[in-house]
Amino acid sequence: MQKDKSADSTSLLSKNVRIEGEILGPENLHVEGHIKGAVVLSGDIFVGNTGIVEADIEAKNIIIQGEVTGNVKAHRQLEIHPTGKLVGDCTAASIDIKEGAVFEGRSNMIRSSAAAAPGSSPKDLHASQHQKKPPS
Amino acid sequence: MALFGKKKKETKSERNQTALSQNETSYFGKNLTIKGSVSGNGNIIILGNLDGKFNLRGRVKIAQPAKIKGEVRADIISVNGTVQGSLVAKERLHLDQTARIEGQIATPKLSISEGASFDGEITMNDPSSRPAGAQAKDSATAPQNTTAPAKE
Repeated sequence: MQKDKSADSTSLLSKNVRIEGEILGPENLHVEGHIKGAVVLSGDIFVGNTGIVEADIEAKNIIIQGEVTGNVKAHRQLEIHPTGKLVGDCTAASIDIKEGAVFEGRSNMIRSSAAAAPGSSPKDLHASQHQKKPPS
Repeated sequence: MALFGKKKKETKSERNQTALSQNETSYFGKNLTIKGSVSGNGNIIILGNLDGKFNLRGRVKIAQPAKIKGEVRADIISVNGTVQGSLVAKERLHLDQTARIEGQIATPKLSISEGASFDGEITMNDPSSRPAGAQAKDSATAPQNTTAPAKE
């Protein structure tokens, strides 16, 4: 159930708001404001143009259009857009860095057989099984 | 009208306001847990858990599944969820039917809907309306009490 919900619900941190501390949960997060601390989500995180994150991030997919300082771990994919900036090490199953993006740090890949497979593909299976439940 | 001072858009048209507030409203979903402090300008709707502080210029809506432990400070607060700690509203505060509050409230304007539960104390710091009326009543009732036992 929670896996399904995590895809549904997206939280938004708007531009002039700042969070200092930890953010946790099975949720997607869209950041246009400022975060300082730590972010651990089992959903996705999207750091928009005005977003500034000074924190270690762990999430399923990480998409960066703004500025991130800290180590990031994407269980599936890390994406840095042309306006995006990442200062810190990254760990990801897949990376996509667009032309113009800034990335300073080390990159580690999660091998698909070892870590990514239990993290990502079985979840998809579960999700699709839920959806396929026939209406009684 | 003059409550917000700067904001022309609010007085001009409500549509503009809703469009504006959608951009400016942060939304914390029910699966999200925040430990720490949230500050800044803007409106917030929270459905999740907060362990810490809100300190905002704007509206805070604590929706039904939300659980807050700590302190909430904002211009306008409305509560449907559960709060343990203190609520400080600069402008007004509303406790809706499903609100569960344990702690302190400080606000100049308060409304509570039937069904809300509140354990704690309220401070209404509105100095302009208070002292004259309250003191006059006290002085009026006091002499009556003293005359009653004198008959015996």
